[in-house]
Amino acid sequence: MGNLMSTSFAPECTPLKQKYDGCFNEWYSEKFLKGKSTTNECEDLWFEYQECVKKHMTEQKLDKMLDDARKEAPFENGGALLNPDDEKNKKK
Amino acid sequence: MKIFTSEQQFDYSWEHVSAANWQKYPNEVSTHVVAVDVLRREFYPDTGILKTERLITCKQPIPKWLSCLTGGDNKSFVREVSTVDRNNKTLTMKSCNMTYNNLLKVYETVVYTPDPSDPLNKTKFSQTAEVTAYANFQRICDKIEDWSVERFGQNAIKGKQGFDSVLKKLDIKWNSTIDELTDKTSVVLKEVTEKTTVVFDDMNAKTSKVLEEVNNKTNEVLNDTTDAINEKTQSVLTILTRKVKEGIFHKGSGNN
Repeated sequence: MGNLMSTSFAPECTPLKQKYDGCFNEWYSEKFLKGKSTTNECEDLWFEYQECVKKHMTEQKLDKMLDDARKEAPFENGGALLNPDDEKNKKK
Repeated sequence: MKIFTSEQQFDYSWEHVSAANWQKYPNEVSTHVVAVDVLRREFYPDTGILKTERLITCKQPIPKWLSCLTGGDNKSFVREVSTVDRNNKTLTMKSCNMTYNNLLKVYETVVYTPDPSDPLNKTKFSQTAEVTAYANFQRICDKIEDWSVERFGQNAIKGKQGFDSVLKKLDIKWNSTIDELTDKTSVVLKEVTEKTTVVFDDMNAKTSKVLEEVNNKTNEVLNDTTDAINEKTQSVLTILTRKVKEGIFHKGSGNN
């Protein structure tokens, strides 16, 4: 299974990512879909992976680009584009 | 803005498809996707909703002439936010490119739901993409064209300067004594040929570099310019040949 997993944008993070992905995929099929889970598991692996991702996002200067995209289509909004009218109203 | 829509059916249950979605890459077809990262993930147990933000890294070959606008690195990034609604069996993914979005923005929404024809075994996939190009293509072409013409002009000036120096040298020789001219005509002609070849080789080398960097589109512009330069060169060479011939005739009649 290991070689069928996608890699990270930062090669250094790939081992951490694949460990986390393995845990998540298991949780998703066995617990989430079956309604057996009340928590997002794999937390420890998640934090290790995220630490690596954040470090490399900064190093590769990708954070500004991401910030802009997040403003345009917020996570809270399910990634839907903010209505341009809303944006105008915010600026006012 | 243009809208693209498509609908498809998968012969697998929604659960199967939604689980496979996390392992979609790498696959044999989408080789342009080189990495997938999870940036944020939240699970809301009360509603059975899982939200995920991902960074998708793509590498696509870009035409050489376009890489002068986009820079050397042809890596591009897409951000995707997905929502899995376990209770309503819906997976919605919204994504948009984060790179080159000053030229083109593709905002895509994909929804996976159980297919009404066979909800337990089949999944319906619907896709909508809004494509907006910000730079009108003619403007990009104009830019490339202006740039190429400018580059070509700079090289043409160099070519002209080189040729001028040859012409000046020749002029001095022509004004020197007639006897010397007789002996030296062949030497001068040889020199002219050599110098002209050097100048043209230099020009040609630079021209082909420009041609390589740009594309067929600019070929027309380059060809026009080349034709103009060739015409000029041709006429200068014609004059030159005539002058040399005249020189020889003068000499001949002088001796008689």
